[in-house]
Amino acid sequence: MSSSETGNYEYVSARVKTRRAYLYGDEEYRKFIRMGPGEISRYMEETTYAQEMNEFGARYKGADLIEYALNHNLASQFEDLLRWSEGELYEHISRYLKKFDAWNAKTILRGIYAKEDGERIRDDLIPAGEFKISFLEQLIGVGNVEEFVGLLEGTMFGEELANAFREYEETGLLVSLENAIDRSYYQQLLKKIEVVEDPSLVLYTKFLRAEIDFKNVMNALRIAHSGSEISIVDYYIQGGKQFTSSKLSSSMKNLDETIGMIRESAYGEQLAGAIEKLENTESLISFEHELESVLLEYCDRLSHLYPLSICPVIAFVLSKEKEIENVRAIARGKEAGLSPEEIEKQLVIL
Amino acid sequence: MLEIIFDLLANNAVPLAENVSTETAAFPPKAAAALGVGLAALGAGIAERGIGAAAVGAIAEDREFFGIGLVMTVLPETLVILALVVIFLV
Repeated sequence: MSSSETGNYEYVSARVKTRRAYLYGDEEYRKFIRMGPGEISRYMEETTYAQEMNEFGARYKGADLIEYALNHNLASQFEDLLRWSEGELYEHISRYLKKFDAWNAKTILRGIYAKEDGERIRDDLIPAGEFKISFLEQLIGVGNVEEFVGLLEGTMFGEELANAFREYEETGLLVSLENAIDRSYYQQLLKKIEVVEDPSLVLYTKFLRAEIDFKNVMNALRIAHSGSEISIVDYYIQGGKQFTSSKLSSSMKNLDETIGMIRESAYGEQLAGAIEKLENTESLISFEHELESVLLEYCDRLSHLYPLSICPVIAFVLSKEKEIENVRAIARGKEAGLSPEEIEKQLVIL
Repeated sequence: MLEIIFDLLANNAVPLAENVSTETAAFPPKAAAALGVGLAALGAGIAERGIGAAAVGAIAEDREFFGIGLVMTVLPETLVILALVVIFLV
């Protein structure tokens, strides 16, 4: 019965649900769309972002200030999650948050590939994962992709990356390496969970599988949309239940067939609105946004069904990420002089 | 923790019942009432554990939850109060 073994679900989910309630809603986004970057940062200063705004206010301005504040707030909020949680719950959260290790690794990899300046790579990192800042610095400092792969040896990405590196050497394409990072992330997530029979964990696994399924669909759609010759089979992430690699590769010849496949799957009903939208607009971005919001909705439902599980935490992590993306899109869009309608299209609104 | 109590009951109560003549109860009424109150208090404690943790979590985020958090936390305490009635009945 001791909370240190199973985790302090009550405490963490209460805190997380409170934080969730303070995230920006539709109303704020509508306000932001009509404001300039300066006004948005003023507004943010009066809400959860006060500390970050004060910290960076003197150094940056405009959309840059907002971006820095968002990234650092995200990192500190997720650090909080780890600080609060104990036992089993801590294990689950820290494994899920390795997502940001994957994100950082991919960002640095792209930076190195594009021979980007270290300072600019650093701007895009989200230090919320397990990698220490010093390790990230080390990664940024390497000169080429080979050294990068060498440095990551021994981390959870090591094995897959080493395999993918051979392919990279042949093709010179980054896709295989990026995909290896994603794949090893999901593998380590599912490996530990599958053996447990707890009903809340069974649902959590279901959620993870849905996430993987959607990721696979998105990859397949992107390949289909770009009309390139790459096969999804090579880049398939294991663990999804609904779409097998053969199913995806046979139906990805064109966009309509892919849509048909999604409609026939178990997600068809939940995604009905999104699929219709996709058929009408043919815009990949709006469909990806719909997929994301469906996933979020699914996770939300789980967190109501099982309040004393990891589900509320994951729901918070997802919606916080959405918030960051939305505010960033608005700030960047405003700076680039996009019209409110165009910005609105970029938002994921529930 | 509950297992310990059940063990205690199983190990002590049964021999007691065997030794005493059939006319008297296994427990003296006062002792039974006291045990009842104790168990009720234990139940309330278990319930409050989770509620208290959640309440403190909510209060840490927002002080406004203090009032409702306090009320929710002590709500299971009514169990003990109701159980106390038993004391006056025996």
